[in-house]
Amino acid sequence: MASKADKPELIIGNKRLDGRGFNDLRPLKVEASVLKNADGSAYVEWGNNKILAAVFGPKEAMPKHVQDPVKAIIKCKYSMAPFSSMGEHGRSGPNRRAIEISKVTREAFENVVMLNDYPGSEIDIFIEVLQSDGGTRAAGITAAAVALASAGIHMKDLIYAVSVGKIGEELVIDMNMIEDNYSDSDMPMAISPRNGDVLLLQMDGIMSKSEVKKGMAMVLEAGKAISKIQKDALNKVYSRGENGNGV
Amino acid sequence: MARQIVIPGDLVAEQALKIEHSYIDNGKTYAKVLGLLDTEKGTIVPLEGIWSPRIGDTVVGIVTGMRSTVYEVDLDFFGRSILIGSKYDRHTYKIGEVIEAEVKDVEDRKTIILTRPQSLFGGTILSVKPTKIPRVIGKANTMVQQIAAMTKSNIIVGNNGLVWMKGGDIGLATAAIRKIESEAHTQGLTEQIKMMLEKGTTNA
Repeated sequence: MASKADKPELIIGNKRLDGRGFNDLRPLKVEASVLKNADGSAYVEWGNNKILAAVFGPKEAMPKHVQDPVKAIIKCKYSMAPFSSMGEHGRSGPNRRAIEISKVTREAFENVVMLNDYPGSEIDIFIEVLQSDGGTRAAGITAAAVALASAGIHMKDLIYAVSVGKIGEELVIDMNMIEDNYSDSDMPMAISPRNGDVLLLQMDGIMSKSEVKKGMAMVLEAGKAISKIQKDALNKVYSRGENGNGV
Repeated sequence: MARQIVIPGDLVAEQALKIEHSYIDNGKTYAKVLGLLDTEKGTIVPLEGIWSPRIGDTVVGIVTGMRSTVYEVDLDFFGRSILIGSKYDRHTYKIGEVIEAEVKDVEDRKTIILTRPQSLFGGTILSVKPTKIPRVIGKANTMVQQIAAMTKSNIIVGNNGLVWMKGGDIGLATAAIRKIESEAHTQGLTEQIKMMLEKGTTNA
């Protein structure tokens, strides 16, 4: 995270290494309902990230002692495929990093899924990173939200997540792997777009109070585009039903 | 009819309205499920999701356990479903037996109490997405009656997503139900299914 002596120049002219401006997202593609055996699923390509999310349930919570008689429980598993990354970073297996990301993802969704509608049940979320290039926890949450919606699970909102970081004196949105490794600060956020609630906020490195405020504004601005892509993905699957027929 | 797709968090109404599959926050109504909003009737029909049990629903299930006169029934649902045997009813159900029953009561959204049980002997069970069941039944049972008449099968459709079939051309009936499930949101489905069934029965 911290600046290294051999730190590459990340900003040249007012452009980033991959030619983006400070407020530009990487190209994002979302596809809903891609897996037949899952109750709900989504596939996300975000820059070089390729992420698959699947949702099962609500089903009877097992083992029985984990059941909550008044609400559903969420189980979340984030995992990186052994072939997903360039270096040894975060690869394979239930390591400390994967457990942490599973936990923060679960807690983000516990705030939007209407758990009281499914007492005593369990909802499983699986996030599998097939190819990683920085910002996979944000992309995983974005994918899992679409997967939950396509499973027909009651939710307050369709959430998204994106990271904002600091390179030198500049704030940049949606950092990729190289920017992430050599940046001064990295702050992933998950947002409920309906009312702007913050569901996930983590930070590596240092940012001043005004920078955090400015970063949040950038996230909310970029989120409009992300939300639209998520909704379009769901609409596309069911758009045949628009012509006044259906059930 | 004006229908539009709603996604969780979409604004349904500026006022606080009591609509199924929606919730109220700050005096406004929002959708909580991926569904079709009928703006004229003010209803939301979910496109995906599990069965939400209601009193009076017909269900098909398998008896999985018994304790004195209380039977546990598997309805492919996250909660518990029980059938309380009547003291005037001498009939006992065996574990593994398929029954048809009616939902008498739903407690705490998870415990389903069944009534008016009926044994179903033999036959096949088909699992269908619960959100597509109303389409399989059709308006005033037309769809299921049509399939049953043309394939000469006994068909009982449970709202929980399990369909029991026996006799006749089960293969054709299964194909018809699968077609309804995958094309539930297309127009003129009754005619399409009729054509499919006519073709299927003449070929056989």
